[in-house]
Amino acid sequence: MVPMDRASVQTADTARLITIRGRVQGVGFRPFLFALARDCSLSGTVQNNMDGIRLIVEGKEEDVQTFLAQLPLRAPRLSRMDEIQVQSMAPAGYAGFSILPSEAEGTSTLVLPADAAICADCLRELYDPRDPRYRYPFINCTQCGPRYTMIESLPYDRPATSMKSFAMCPACREEYENPLSRRHHAQPIACPACGPQLSLFSVEGELTEGEPIAETAALLRSGRIVAIKGIGGYHLACDAEDDGAVQQLRLRKQRPQKPLAIMAKSLGHIRRICHVTPEEEQLLLSPEAPIVLLQKREECRLSPDLAPGMMTLGVMLPYTPLHHLLLDELPYLVMTSANPSGLPMLYREEEAFGYLKGIADYVLSHNRDILQPIDDSVVQMINGETDFIRRARGYAPDPISTKRDVHGIHAAGSRQKNTFAIGRGKQVFLSPHIGDLSHLEMLAHWQKEHHHLSHWGQAAERGVIDMHPGFDMNRLLGDIPLAHVQHHHAHMVSCMEDTGLTAPCFGLILDGTGYGSDGNLWGFELLYGSAGSWKRLGHLGYVPLPGGEQSIREPWRTAVSYLVQTFGVHGVGLAMEVFPERKKEIPILYHLIERKMNTPLAGTCGRLFDAVSAILGICHRSTYEGEAAIKLSELVRFSGRSAAAYCHSLEQTDIWELNMLPMLEELMQDLRHGVPAVVMAERFHETVVQGAAALVDAARLPSHSRRVVLSGGSFHNPYLRTYIRQELEKRGYEVYTHKRVPCNDGGISLGQLIAAAQKGES
Amino acid sequence: MKRISLAHGDGGELTHTLIQELFLSAFQTTASPMLDAAIVSMPANEIAVTTDSFVVQPLFFPGGDIGKLAVAGTVNDLAVSGAVPLYMTCGFIIEEGFPYADLQRIVNSIAAEAAKNGISIVAGDTKVVERGSCDGVFINTTGIGVVRHKSKAAYLQEGDAVIVSGSIGDHGIAILAARNELGFTTEVESDCASLSAMIEDVQHGTGGVRIMRDPTRGGLATSLVEICEDFGITIILEEEDLPVHPAVAGACDLLGFDPMYVANEGKVILIVSAAEAEQTLSLLRQHPEGAEAAIIGRITDTQSGELRVRTVFGATRKLRRLHGMQLPRIC
Ligand SMILES: [Fe+3]
Ligand SMILES: [Mg+2]
Ligand SMILES: [Zn+2]
Ligand SMILES: [Zn+2]
Repeated sequence: MVPMDRASVQTADTARLITIRGRVQGVGFRPFLFALARDCSLSGTVQNNMDGIRLIVEGKEEDVQTFLAQLPLRAPRLSRMDEIQVQSMAPAGYAGFSILPSEAEGTSTLVLPADAAICADCLRELYDPRDPRYRYPFINCTQCGPRYTMIESLPYDRPATSMKSFAMCPACREEYENPLSRRHHAQPIACPACGPQLSLFSVEGELTEGEPIAETAALLRSGRIVAIKGIGGYHLACDAEDDGAVQQLRLRKQRPQKPLAIMAKSLGHIRRICHVTPEEEQLLLSPEAPIVLLQKREECRLSPDLAPGMMTLGVMLPYTPLHHLLLDELPYLVMTSANPSGLPMLYREEEAFGYLKGIADYVLSHNRDILQPIDDSVVQMINGETDFIRRARGYAPDPISTKRDVHGIHAAGSRQKNTFAIGRGKQVFLSPHIGDLSHLEMLAHWQKEHHHLSHWGQAAERGVIDMHPGFDMNRLLGDIPLAHVQHHHAHMVSCMEDTGLTAPCFGLILDGTGYGSDGNLWGFELLYGSAGSWKRLGHLGYVPLPGGEQSIREPWRTAVSYLVQTFGVHGVGLAMEVFPERKKEIPILYHLIERKMNTPLAGTCGRLFDAVSAILGICHRSTYEGEAAIKLSELVRFSGRSAAAYCHSLEQTDIWELNMLPMLEELMQDLRHGVPAVVMAERFHETVVQGAAALVDAARLPSHSRRVVLSGGSFHNPYLRTYIRQELEKRGYEVYTHKRVPCNDGGISLGQLIAAAQKGES
Repeated sequence: MKRISLAHGDGGELTHTLIQELFLSAFQTTASPMLDAAIVSMPANEIAVTTDSFVVQPLFFPGGDIGKLAVAGTVNDLAVSGAVPLYMTCGFIIEEGFPYADLQRIVNSIAAEAAKNGISIVAGDTKVVERGSCDGVFINTTGIGVVRHKSKAAYLQEGDAVIVSGSIGDHGIAILAARNELGFTTEVESDCASLSAMIEDVQHGTGGVRIMRDPTRGGLATSLVEICEDFGITIILEEEDLPVHPAVAGACDLLGFDPMYVANEGKVILIVSAAEAEQTLSLLRQHPEGAEAAIIGRITDTQSGELRVRTVFGATRKLRRLHGMQLPRIC
């Protein structure tokens, strides 16, 4: 024994302690490291712990170098390494490479894996006539298939999934138990002999004859609308090339304008309708397979009603075997979530048919239950950076690692685009996108999701909620101590955490509406501070919103308010020229504003965009959240930065105020001179860029840092994101934007949680 | 023009003349005016007492005036409490310089509405305050009635129907329009009305009424939230079944108001057993004030106290008390 030990000590002339954080658990990472270490002739150990993976390798220096070089190249496709730390250490003389049991026992180290798009190996088998799973719509393996959506409890084992009702056939069982198989412990393993089956029903619930996929394709080709049960819920599908079908779908869903996402058969098919950059291609092909917003080609031959007023189209690739088989028949399908607006995802069989009556004609369903619903994720690329619009399928509930102890803290999130966050050790579990919590059904859905994630995450010891007084959320977290965090401070801290900043910096937060500590509606804020404390240094000047929330639905009202602010009573006449069809209402709004009746004050980027969008005639009424602002931003989405800004002014009282009324004067002149809308849109965007940058500069004291985080939903606007950054960098600032969580209210819960953790520390 | 002066309220000669000429002749008070208090007889040992102050602006509005409002408000408070209104008192606070003719109009209106309801005005008071200390006329009333129908709130149960006797929000919108707060005119009139006769008919014609409320300030929603919380019941309203006049709906849309939070002065909410809901409706509809009565919701459970509304799209919202809507004086 002794000579052998000595021998291995002698060969190991160097050693490294490597810690890896990211998605490295439950994705076949330890067997991969085992194989890689063996191939590189290294010895050592690997172990899962609370933070990720702890790895010790030792051997010859050149072999260690090879190992480190190969690590990112050969990692399993479902893994994602966010952070790799390598430390030198003295060799301990391991005899070989071994996988150690997880460091902390119990549920705390368990990770609920995310769902993944079908992998290349499974896809090959799907189309191999000799394969037992040839054309089987539920083929999967350890590197692909449903996970989060079918798991009832942890540890992740077949009896704890919705696959428990399917008994494995001997052939599947053999693969399942064979350590050399791709399907070794693939919990959703199935084949035509033993697994789930498809059925096609009329919406009245009658089973149809014939092969479900062929029948569905025939229905779609004839312009019908079919609800399709997928991984995380039901989609409504129709032929995206069929104008009539798309219009019918809009009519039935009462969704006149909101863009509809499509699924396209292949990357080649996407290229025919959209421009695709290499980064976008990578996103589309990733295991997360999100909806990616792509620039529409002019010659795009799909229905123009898919995304009215938009330069972009939300596109995804097929991510289940079923999708592949269907898209073989029709290359472009509308795939929009089937839930009625304001209600939770539709995912239960027993609810589906009731809801879908009058909307879908047929339902393509299967008998594998969805236990946790999840939306498709939506992302866009801005200058090669990923911008999450909706973080859901494929990404959630992957933990986000942090350097703080966030254990036992739960953050309820925002009211719109809600996500919640749960802290465990130094990990944050961000829930999938939940949505707008205005309705009780959504609150109930929130509670169900929260209960589920708390159960395997970490029970709440203290909670954090928004400071809005009319919020229902203080009761959601139960009877625990609650901290309150202001909406825009949460945005700021969310971006700081997302980019690893902890020292005080500026937060430039541009978004829709959030409750401000002075009781007004905030949304164009310059803050300075950190997770622990903050100060508001500046904001956009307030305007009254006549009719309150009604103004958010009807941007023309905010436009009238801005015109009245700018031109006084003369603005009434101008407003009547701009909105002749509102001649009767405008004096009444003026009256409301004068009398301060139901006219809360707002200084928000979203409402400013609304007003300009309405004045330019782009959108008078928003039929979906943010429509007016989004359509205005689409006008300049792919134009460069050449327009001259309109004037703005900055005024200092106890706080800096950005005044956009000079801009409106010039804009109205342009309007009168018949300047094209796109030019005015560019000039307006540039004014916001200049105004925002000037505001930071004006408010900065010599003692302040030069770091600025940008957050808030308005930073989905590529012009603002790109050129505010550029303008600030030109003035010597370091600018940070979100990476892993949305800049919109979907990122609020992360900020709340970190702010609360800071309160606990200090 | 004859106007009210401070001397009309000093307790001297002018006060005496005012009381004799105006109030006593209009109200035909039978109780002895010689004493410091009215002596009345009560045919029961359970009486209902209510008090209210009326400060509405303008004093005269489409559908009524402050006098009619004062009587109707008092009568309705008694009626929804299961009492038959018998007596009331009226205290006037009058601004110096108020036109005598207007006061006369108000007093006549009070007298007429009281006579219609068989309620006697048995005591009163008059004070005149300096110009600017009050806005024309304020009226304070106390109403006394005999309890005829005991509260059946203990019988509230799942499935009970929630009925409103007619369209909601009329009074609030009419007053706003009359104050010129809207910047537009509307044909909406205040629903100001005494409901004791209609309520008495319903009480006699059906045994199923559990509780009643008059949804005045804060509107239908605020009254129902109070019911839900007080009795620990959950009610779900159906948005599409709420009776709202188009002109009220249009005005609310413009103002960003929800008609469920706009005041009524001639409506009653009734919670009745499911079995007698239809009977109740037809009894209500026999009266002009109840012509548009409708079932608007149901009690869905008796575990928690919450008011909800199901929107036309099928999603459900929780309703709270009136919050943050700054309405001027309307009652
Ligand atoms: Fe926000
Ligand atoms: Mg009252
Ligand atoms: Zn696979
Ligand atoms: Zn099988």
